[in-house]
Amino acid sequence: MKQVKAETSGKPAQSGRRLHPLPIRIMHWINAVVMLVMITSGWGIYDDDVIIRGVHFGQFWRLGDWAAWSLNWHFAGMWFFTINGLIYLVYGFASGRLREKLLPIRPAEVVQTIIDTLHFKIAHDDITVYNAVQKLLYIVVIFAGVSQVVTGVAIWKPIQFSGLVSLLGGFQTARALHFAGMAVIVGFLIVHVALALLVPKTLGAMVTGGPRLDPRGRAREGHAI
Amino acid sequence: MKSPFRPDVVPNAGILDDHKPLIRSLERRGLIRGGLSLGALVMLSGCDLDRPESVESALLAIGRFNDGVQALLFDPNKLAPTYPASMILRPPKFNAYYDVVDVKPVSGATWRLELSGLIAERRPWTLPQLQALPQTSMVIKHICVEGWSYIGGWTGVPLRAFLERIGADLRAKYVAFKTTDDYPSSIDMATALHPQTLLALKYGDDTLADPFGYPVRLRMATKLGYKNQKWITAIEVTNTYPGGYWEAKGFPWFAGI
Amino acid sequence: MVCGHMKRVTPIRILLAFYLVSATTSVAHAQSTTPGGMPPPPGMSLAESAAMRFPQPVRVGDLLGRDVLRPVESQDVLGRVRRLVRDRNGQIMVVVDFGGLLGFGSRPIAVPVDAMVLLGQDMEIVAFTPEQLRQFPTFSPSGAADLADDTIIKVGLAKPSH
Repeated sequence: MKQVKAETSGKPAQSGRRLHPLPIRIMHWINAVVMLVMITSGWGIYDDDVIIRGVHFGQFWRLGDWAAWSLNWHFAGMWFFTINGLIYLVYGFASGRLREKLLPIRPAEVVQTIIDTLHFKIAHDDITVYNAVQKLLYIVVIFAGVSQVVTGVAIWKPIQFSGLVSLLGGFQTARALHFAGMAVIVGFLIVHVALALLVPKTLGAMVTGGPRLDPRGRAREGHAI
Repeated sequence: MKSPFRPDVVPNAGILDDHKPLIRSLERRGLIRGGLSLGALVMLSGCDLDRPESVESALLAIGRFNDGVQALLFDPNKLAPTYPASMILRPPKFNAYYDVVDVKPVSGATWRLELSGLIAERRPWTLPQLQALPQTSMVIKHICVEGWSYIGGWTGVPLRAFLERIGADLRAKYVAFKTTDDYPSSIDMATALHPQTLLALKYGDDTLADPFGYPVRLRMATKLGYKNQKWITAIEVTNTYPGGYWEAKGFPWFAGI
Repeated sequence: MVCGHMKRVTPIRILLAFYLVSATTSVAHAQSTTPGGMPPPPGMSLAESAAMRFPQPVRVGDLLGRDVLRPVESQDVLGRVRRLVRDRNGQIMVVVDFGGLLGFGSRPIAVPVDAMVLLGQDMEIVAFTPEQLRQFPTFSPSGAADLADDTIIKVGLAKPSH
């Protein structure tokens, strides 16, 4: 059934909020671009002194044709990443969206969803309800993002924030944690993008807003595609 | 007095002749090459990728904003952590914008420290004069912008004491340094006055070695390695932004840690 | 001052445009940075090339166990320093546990100390490629005398490679 657009007819049944309100969509796409800036410029910085010996990214994967510009991209992008992320978290908590969409998570559901996914049962009829694996991944990536800000600030200002660096286990350990957080986010991205492409209506939903929701936050009867 | 910060001699390009075989092997190794980078991403609205200078200027403008943030975050009373002398790396790690074979040792006997700018005493200093001043030692962590770090120990004259001794205007904004390896740079006055900013004369218990800046190098605990110049020959106190070698190539100026 | 220019692309004035690949040429810093750890110029002896690298005193005991790196950006680990010995000719050799994976399958080879440099807390072999090192005979201890831990030897320096 075709998705019904917002009408001015005044019928209450058509005026529910969308799965992805406009602020969420804007923040999502800002984050998508900025995260890629941070990751690829970060790889440029990493190459300047590799953390895992023998592993480097190479010129093709780096943003910034050499170290100075990778740094400049990274130190510019960090503001957009952090401010956008902060607004997202405040919005998510204040609006109840994070609680509604990401909790609760039951371990049995996680196992079942993994099994289903591996059997390619990812039709996902109702995209307004996140399955257990989705919830877990989104929570993990949010924590990873916060961790990147914390470890990033620590390695940016290791003397002014020497207490934080000590808590993290020292400067080189903070660097390794920052790298590990990146690896988690990149892992998430690979899964996230692959699944979005496999269920393209989720991609459309993040552009146009997706199905309208009833007061419980579920897709309206007959509007779930 | 003519400022030592106004160069009147351009470096002689003939020195490259000695290094032609090295340069040829650099090219062979593909180290002088165009770079391909994944992900040229537009994050500013209305950014026109036909004019990447605008992207660069935007990044540099944010960089200057970051310098301001760093200046606000800098606590002049906060000391960097120190470590036991047993942890000093001997010898320390060498770095420069060229490899060690191009280091040009300085003669301590003929070395003079030229002074200029907003100061009272302009007579050049000799090495024995500097060595006669009270000195202090610190064992701190060197952090390079590249990402590596090591623990080193330096002994020298606190820059603050030296600036006071030469009657410098401590309200000036910048302290600029010139070196024998054409590696100028400058720091903010707040960092210059920090207790862990030294005109270092010794590493560990020994006189600075040639590749590490003999006779005098700048050593700060609160800035990245590339701000700590070796083989200093001149100091200027000024309110005019002096810039620096790496800053001209796009690196941040404040570079505080 | 400008580091590079991009290939001509259609001007796009979109809020969040996304481009996968951009080519930039960077000639500006070609003459300013010389890579670290270059091999000795052809015809120069190891001793001469080491002497050009401002050899610094270092304690033998501080070298044992150090990673031995390849002077490239990826900092491949070639092996670890196992021993320092004087061979039957009186030359100082670094016995490196070379090759293998994560410490398994390596074999000791003797590398002249003049072929190596100090790099911070590690060492690098600058005078031989990994291919050449693979041809080195396995170290045989006969005729070689270990240097005492407190012996001070001189080893050349290099800046990081990238």
